[in-house]
Amino acid sequence: MSLRSLRTLPLAAAAILLSQPALAHEQADVGGGLAAGLLHPLTGADHLIAMVAVGIWGAQLGAPAIWVLPITFPLVMAFGGVLGILHVPLPMPEVVIALSALVLGGAVALRLKLPFAAAAAIVAVFAIFHGHAHGAELPGSANPLAYGIGFVVATGLLHLCGIVIGTLTRWPAGERIVQGLGAIIALLGGYFLLHSLGASA
Amino acid sequence: MRRTLKHGLIATALLLAQAPAAEAHIVAIRLGDFYAGALHPFTDLQDVLLWLAMGLLAGSLGAARGRWLVALFPLGLLAGLALGARVGTIAANPAIDAVIAVVLGLLLAAGARVPTVLLCVMAFALAALRGAANASDLAPNTDRLLFAGGLACAGYAAITLIMALTLAFRGPLSDSSKDSSKDTSKDWRGIALRALGGWIAAIGLMMAGLAFAS
Amino acid sequence: MIDLRYLRIALLLVTALILPRALFAHEATLGVLEFREVRPGAFIGLWTMEPTVGADRVDLKVPPHCFLRLPELNCGEKGLVGQITIGNLGADMSAALIKIIPLKGEPRSYTISTANPVVTVLGTDAPTIDTWLELAKTYINYGIDHILLGADHLLFVLGLIWIVNGGWRLVKTITAFTVGHSASLAATAFGLIGVPERPLNACIALSIVFVGVEIVKQQRGEIGWTARYPWAVAVTFGLVHGIGFASALAGLGLERRLLPPALLFFNVGVEIGQLAFVLLVLALIWAHRRLDAVLPRWGEALPAYAIGSVAMFWFIGRLLIVLST
Repeated sequence: MSLRSLRTLPLAAAAILLSQPALAHEQADVGGGLAAGLLHPLTGADHLIAMVAVGIWGAQLGAPAIWVLPITFPLVMAFGGVLGILHVPLPMPEVVIALSALVLGGAVALRLKLPFAAAAAIVAVFAIFHGHAHGAELPGSANPLAYGIGFVVATGLLHLCGIVIGTLTRWPAGERIVQGLGAIIALLGGYFLLHSLGASA
Repeated sequence: MRRTLKHGLIATALLLAQAPAAEAHIVAIRLGDFYAGALHPFTDLQDVLLWLAMGLLAGSLGAARGRWLVALFPLGLLAGLALGARVGTIAANPAIDAVIAVVLGLLLAAGARVPTVLLCVMAFALAALRGAANASDLAPNTDRLLFAGGLACAGYAAITLIMALTLAFRGPLSDSSKDSSKDTSKDWRGIALRALGGWIAAIGLMMAGLAFAS
Repeated sequence: MIDLRYLRIALLLVTALILPRALFAHEATLGVLEFREVRPGAFIGLWTMEPTVGADRVDLKVPPHCFLRLPELNCGEKGLVGQITIGNLGADMSAALIKIIPLKGEPRSYTISTANPVVTVLGTDAPTIDTWLELAKTYINYGIDHILLGADHLLFVLGLIWIVNGGWRLVKTITAFTVGHSASLAATAFGLIGVPERPLNACIALSIVFVGVEIVKQQRGEIGWTARYPWAVAVTFGLVHGIGFASALAGLGLERRLLPPALLFFNVGVEIGQLAFVLLVLALIWAHRRLDAVLPRWGEALPAYAIGSVAMFWFIGRLLIVLST
């Protein structure tokens, strides 16, 4: 061990210690993915109103729908999303999505009290179609995991909005407001339905 | 004998003489890798999501069951990191992460009463997997001991805090057999936690779909 | 005979102590780069002493608003304000001296070395808002870095939290520690007091040993000094730790005229880091209580002994350094 090599040891050590590994990560564009996922369910008006309507209807139906729906809804929707990602074709997605707003809005406006299983089945079918639409439109560039997180969180929050609006039904006046909202959603859904029928015709 | 002694003395003296000069500043920089290890998992969405899911699940099961994770989780991370560093970096498999997220999310959403032993095994396995994934960031010049220390500290702090917060949010757990007869609709905190489980499972499902699509 | 042998060893030791510095002096890895301002914001840079690796191979990085193509350096209206660093400092080039000769004011020199790889240039004009922001950013970061990387300071704070056990008393104790180290940091930075660094480091380690002993005492049911007068202990040891902070600040090569604000920002950074640490520890203590995850009876004294042992290890190591020079 010569003096020279000994002397360079601390220097080399210092050099090594100083060049700390950059924290930069291969997770490309997390922010972009999150933003895209968050915004995607919010920017399509047909999606947005249908999601809120599901929440309101669940709240109207009361137990067990009010607590089963928030737990299972994102799951079913993600299932639809996976179908969309894998490009499994579904019949007339545009029409069914517009129809969902009409049906769900109508159910809220009419305070339709279906048995839980029937209501769950209706919601599940629509959820799969909505998820499918989001999954099929998944932007290729953004970070997929971040997109998924943003997408699920945004959907869940919309759902939560619906539930909060739905709790207004505890008061008679609130009940009216909720029904009015349901009617508006149904009307919008009808408009989208006509639009999509016209477009596909 | 005399020669080796002499050489040893020279070497020691040299090192001692160098140490103070270097020490003043290198001491300050020496711990950098500790923070690299501690911060690395938080830059990785997979880690954030899975750690959160694990902490939520353990916390929702109550203090008696979750408590063991305080020690087991960081130990699992260390084991995984050691394995990852030894075997060579294991390519992170998004499909496995997705399946784990789905399983953890579903268990939380279903409100399953996972037995303590199973919970511990799951936590250790998850931690080991994530520890191995974190080993990919070990550069050749990283101080492994410090990096591992940082990672273990981060794991310990994160899992402990998430569990405690979940527990505090959940409130005292009703372990009685009357659980089902109680009006569940009023227990909105429990529902909120289970809904969160549904979200996590949904995210996992989408991750799985993306993993299979690509 | 024996005397001669001792003499020989002593001689060897002396040479060994002197040698490394002598060898350092021989090495011409030091480069000197001179920037002369020719128009406001525009500089001509020349290597007055070229580093042995060759001037072309030096990866010089200037503030982002500046444009560098040697010999030209153009910084526009903002002037040469910001961080200068060399990307490829290493064993073959250990340091560089950067000399800046402005149109107005006195020339200044900065040393970039592995120990101090980034220098912050703050301009010669009356401080503008940019200067202040740059100064604040730099020194708050230094402060945070310093406390977070200073395991000894953090261990001491941990010991204090352990003994005082939360509540209003903890707020007072931590404030007392802050007052103590701020006062001595300022006093040392302005040169009012000067304490050699190495004995001081040993003292800092000893202060942590003291806290460890106090924790053990408390667990045995004795009421120690720290439990009775936590603020007094905190202020006293705060003074010691503050001198330690100052020596770190001194290593950053600060300009005299910017010392007061830099000191303030550095201290702010230290407090931010310390507060974050205290909050994290308190959150973890709360979490442990919530989870009922406490050490069994036989292991209660373990953390105190761990703190004490680590600190004692440091103390012995630092004492050896003091004695060896």
